Amino acid sequence: MNRLAKYYWSRLKRNRLAVAGMIYIIILILIAILGPYFTPDPNKVNFAEKNIPPIGFSIKQSYYDAKKGEFTTVVVHGNLEHPLGTDDKGRDLLSMLVSGARVSLYIGILATGVAILIGAVIGVSSAYFGGAVDNVLMRFTDIMMTFPFFLLLVFVVFIFGQSINLIILIIGLTGWTGTARLVRSEALSIRTREFIQAAIVLGADSKRIILRHMIPNVISVIIVIATLSIPGVILAEAALSFIGLGDPTVASWGRILNAGQDTLDTTWWVAVEPGILLFLTVLAFNFLGDGLRDAFDPNK
Amino acid sequence: MRLSRRKFLSLCAKFGAFSLAGGTIGCTGQKEAKVESQLPERQFPQVKGTFIEGTSSGDAETLNWILAGDGASLGYVNFTMDGLITYDNNLNIVLRWLSEPIEVSEDGLRYTLRIRDDLYWSDGKQVTAEDFVYTYRNLMFADWMPFNYKDDYREEIDGEKRFVEIKAINKTSYQFIRQTVNPEFLYTITDFWVYPKHIVKKYEGDIEAFTQADELNNLSYTGNLGPYRFVEWIRNDKFVLERNPDYYLGKESGAPYFEKYVVKILGSAAARHAALEAGDITSASIDPLQVKKFKELKHINVYTQPTSGYNILVFNFRNNGWEGFKNKKIRQAIAMSISKDALIQSIYLGFADPAFSFIPRPSPWFVEDGLSRYGVDELYDKERAMQIFQDEGYELHDGKILDGEALRLTVVTNSGNKVRESICFLVKQELSDIGIDVEMKLLPWTTELNQYLRNKVPGSDEEPAFNNGPDAVSEKPWDMIVMGFSTDVLSPSGSSVFFTSDGGLNFGGFSNPDVDALFNRIRTKESLDEDKRREIYGKISILLSEDLPGNFLAYPVGNVGFQSNVMGIEPGISMGYNYHEWYFA
Amino acid sequence: MTATMRKYIIKRLIYSAFIAWGIFTVTFVLLRIGPSSPADRYLATMGAGKGDIEEIITALETRQGLDKPIYVQYVDYVTNLLHGDWGWSFSTSMPVMDLIRIHWIYSFQLILLSMIFAALLGIVIGIYSAVNQYSRIDYLSTFFSFVGISIPNFWLGIMLILIFSVKLGIFRTYYDTSLPVFSFENLKNLVLPVITLGTGSMAAYTRYVRSSTLENLKKDFVRTAKAKGLPERTIIWRHVFRNAMLPIVTIIMFDLSGVVFGGAYLTEIIFGIPGLGQISFNAIFAGDYAVVVAVTLIGAFITLLFNLITDISYTFLDPRIRYE
Repeated sequence: MNRLAKYYWSRLKRNRLAVAGMIYIIILILIAILGPYFTPDPNKVNFAEKNIPPIGFSIKQSYYDAKKGEFTTVVVHGNLEHPLGTDDKGRDLLSMLVSGARVSLYIGILATGVAILIGAVIGVSSAYFGGAVDNVLMRFTDIMMTFPFFLLLVFVVFIFGQSINLIILIIGLTGWTGTARLVRSEALSIRTREFIQAAIVLGADSKRIILRHMIPNVISVIIVIATLSIPGVILAEAALSFIGLGDPTVASWGRILNAGQDTLDTTWWVAVEPGILLFLTVLAFNFLGDGLRDAFDPNK
Repeated sequence: MRLSRRKFLSLCAKFGAFSLAGGTIGCTGQKEAKVESQLPERQFPQVKGTFIEGTSSGDAETLNWILAGDGASLGYVNFTMDGLITYDNNLNIVLRWLSEPIEVSEDGLRYTLRIRDDLYWSDGKQVTAEDFVYTYRNLMFADWMPFNYKDDYREEIDGEKRFVEIKAINKTSYQFIRQTVNPEFLYTITDFWVYPKHIVKKYEGDIEAFTQADELNNLSYTGNLGPYRFVEWIRNDKFVLERNPDYYLGKESGAPYFEKYVVKILGSAAARHAALEAGDITSASIDPLQVKKFKELKHINVYTQPTSGYNILVFNFRNNGWEGFKNKKIRQAIAMSISKDALIQSIYLGFADPAFSFIPRPSPWFVEDGLSRYGVDELYDKERAMQIFQDEGYELHDGKILDGEALRLTVVTNSGNKVRESICFLVKQELSDIGIDVEMKLLPWTTELNQYLRNKVPGSDEEPAFNNGPDAVSEKPWDMIVMGFSTDVLSPSGSSVFFTSDGGLNFGGFSNPDVDALFNRIRTKESLDEDKRREIYGKISILLSEDLPGNFLAYPVGNVGFQSNVMGIEPGISMGYNYHEWYFA
Repeated sequence: MTATMRKYIIKRLIYSAFIAWGIFTVTFVLLRIGPSSPADRYLATMGAGKGDIEEIITALETRQGLDKPIYVQYVDYVTNLLHGDWGWSFSTSMPVMDLIRIHWIYSFQLILLSMIFAALLGIVIGIYSAVNQYSRIDYLSTFFSFVGISIPNFWLGIMLILIFSVKLGIFRTYYDTSLPVFSFENLKNLVLPVITLGTGSMAAYTRYVRSSTLENLKKDFVRTAKAKGLPERTIIWRHVFRNAMLPIVTIIMFDLSGVVFGGAYLTEIIFGIPGLGQISFNAIFAGDYAVVVAVTLIGAFITLLFNLITDISYTFLDPRIRYE
């Protein structure tokens, strides 16, 4: 670890919530990567074991016998085999949530990556070139910001199909505006610094200056924005799934939640559990992002 | 809850399972038609209260009914206009606007309808046969009118499709005149309502003006034609009606007995259940998971209601489907491996009837004897299914069926339809037991429609359609599709679109010349004789149950809950046919 | 209003109109080139029936003007728009303008009340925790503002219904449109939706108010005032609060567009409120292009207007800012 990183780490360490958030995120990432190898197949259907509540709960389930015209009622208890219960097809919710973590994090990180990349390039170019380029790029950013984002997301996904890669792409292509503005203002202040001025005087070409000097110097801003955008993206996908526009082929947390909301009054756990995970994950990212911002802020 | 032919579609929508509904609904085998029974001398119920019907199926699109393409719209209009007839729970005709049963000529070519003489438009003008003739001839059959059911009124003469002839006889009677016999045409001609000629005339020929005409969109012309009058429609929220004091059936009885009738849209099943339990609404359909609980509630009565839609696992007979499906024995082996009891237990929690063919039990044309009952009792037998595969030349290795390599089939359905999704999972589970791997594809409806259901001959530049002939294939290959079809319980021959070689919705490409011939025989003079028609329908049912264009799965049974102070309900398939006589205790 | 100010506003308005036109065009083109058509919607909801499918599809497209080349459709639409005709909504059978006129109030009251709820609580809690920095309440409010920011609002909504409507039966499970807008019952109707929609914003405002109050507390004029012996309450309200307002206005305005187009829609769905959000999303699913275009356009206008108001309000809140 280099000295600078050590310095920031020592600052971040002081913020207990941020550290807790970081630990949670690391664990979650590990679970997302390794978990599916340890949990049963999330797509394993077993209708005989459907609607089992989580450990410690029990519900009554009734079947109607049309021939006899009467109900058979059984009490189902939560059990260790399915600690978080099962859904209406008897799939194990723990496994579903573990593989859902993979999907949700994948979407969050990838879409944020795309957005940050575009935002950084636009922001830095805008700051570096200034003048007309700056003007055009910033006006373009304004237009993008004026677009009602969620509405756009919904109608593009509806029209062009519900695929996970499309969702990532759209979030990435529309979510870069904040980054572009922040990076631009940060870069503007860096641009005036001596070493960049020196590089320009020495005749270094602009690509090189942007890549070698400006980008690394706005990296701290980017790290903070990335940490704070990931939960937003995860939530956007969850919201999309919630209204039935998620990718039907992958079980993200949002999709699981969506499947459970109609039976909230009976098999409540199907909607409650992914909701809690979503909430905790977003909370953790917010804690960490906030801590990082403070750690990078020279005025604090 | 009111039933007319078209209304079945909205009914099916209520119970949530059927998107691609095929044929439509008609009437019984013309049993004794009975005249609206005169209520005996007695104290009539008091007019009071607001009936609130909660629903989670979508809102209507238009009240200008000739333009409607959805069941909800037709359901809304029906509150304000009864229509010519309705059907009771035994699917007998109950007369509404008609004063006498429809008279069909000996040769089956002329249909004479006589309407009551006490029907009035809102401006006091009498509703006449001329209005009906105008509605058909100048609106429904007109080139400028995008009416979705034009084809129901056409007949093929010398290879050319032509509209049937219609003419007024006098002020209250009119006649349809056909050139070809189709005994089931009887059920088509009582389907729709009527427009006032003197009001609509000015919009004739101008579709934009017609679409946007205030009088037509506000149903302000409906006079005494129905039990309720339109008051207000807040989109995606509620449709409000008030009691029609002039209702032609309420002259003596004072019906209807609710001051207001409201259709309230509730987004989710959870909201619908909670609202019913809390008494915020008067009636709502109840999901299987909740039926027991509601049956135990003192203030709620739950009635079951059979439906005419069924789910089916359609096989792909086209060139981009698995070869094996062309072998009838293999189709039977597949059907033998999927337990319908397990399906009904685990997905419908018991609220469904196993399906073996396309005609449901409540239909007067239902035949039980001779049906091959695949998927239940002794015809649910996985051992035997595997034996059949081996007999037909497939190898069995490590419990896997080999077709060159391990057999792997795809099953497709539209995502968002939870019942169909569950069925896919169940099919996968059942078939894996006999050594077939099933790959599930849950797709958005438009994707399924365009890439799997529509097909065309490869290399040709024809427009993709659901059935472009035996050589056509869909854009993407598939083996099985879980789909909901709906049968017209009164005139099931509409289902020929699914099962005949050139049927417009036969996307799987099933073809059996015997089936084609039998369906054709329904629309001939021969089946004017009802016993003969029943015999033909019996043959089709038996043939399909054995030849399996797909695996017929189940007919769901709906559950509807009412506050217990609602009186006068007669539970059954046509529950609500007498809703104008319901009242609050 | 000064002449420069007027000129600035006019310039901004022209610029806004230009952006709105751009957004309109993009929306229009996206809708028309998409592979989904109203005919598909028809097939999805109704089934093809016995009718001749091709005939039905052609008729549907002709009726909605979709058979013409896209540039003709575009020119027609723009011409009508300039004449004040926003078109006909085929999925609801009424003029688009009427549809919006009837339904905006449901969204408006929800958003307005949520914003008041969020801003009031956010400001009070924010200032209180800044003044009592490092107290237990400060920690608590910081923690809960994190919770508020992080909780998915659609999930919060269904949890509130599960607890307060289904289990406890305190509130109705759906929004009742038959109540008059200005009534106590209607207010009660809106309690859960407002909490659902407002919580996230409230939490965000709390954090901003707290940090900007903290900054101001450190400033010289506060120290001077303290030295002069002014009572703490006076200092806070007269000096600190006023100065903290500027960033709050900005953040509220910035937040609004997200609230209007994301949170409000989901809240409307969950509680069955027939507001503009629900209308526009249903229009998307129904392929009702006229409504989608109109709503997007109105949305863009509102956002642009908010931006303008924000910029102008700066000049009143902070006289140092001038526009050329």
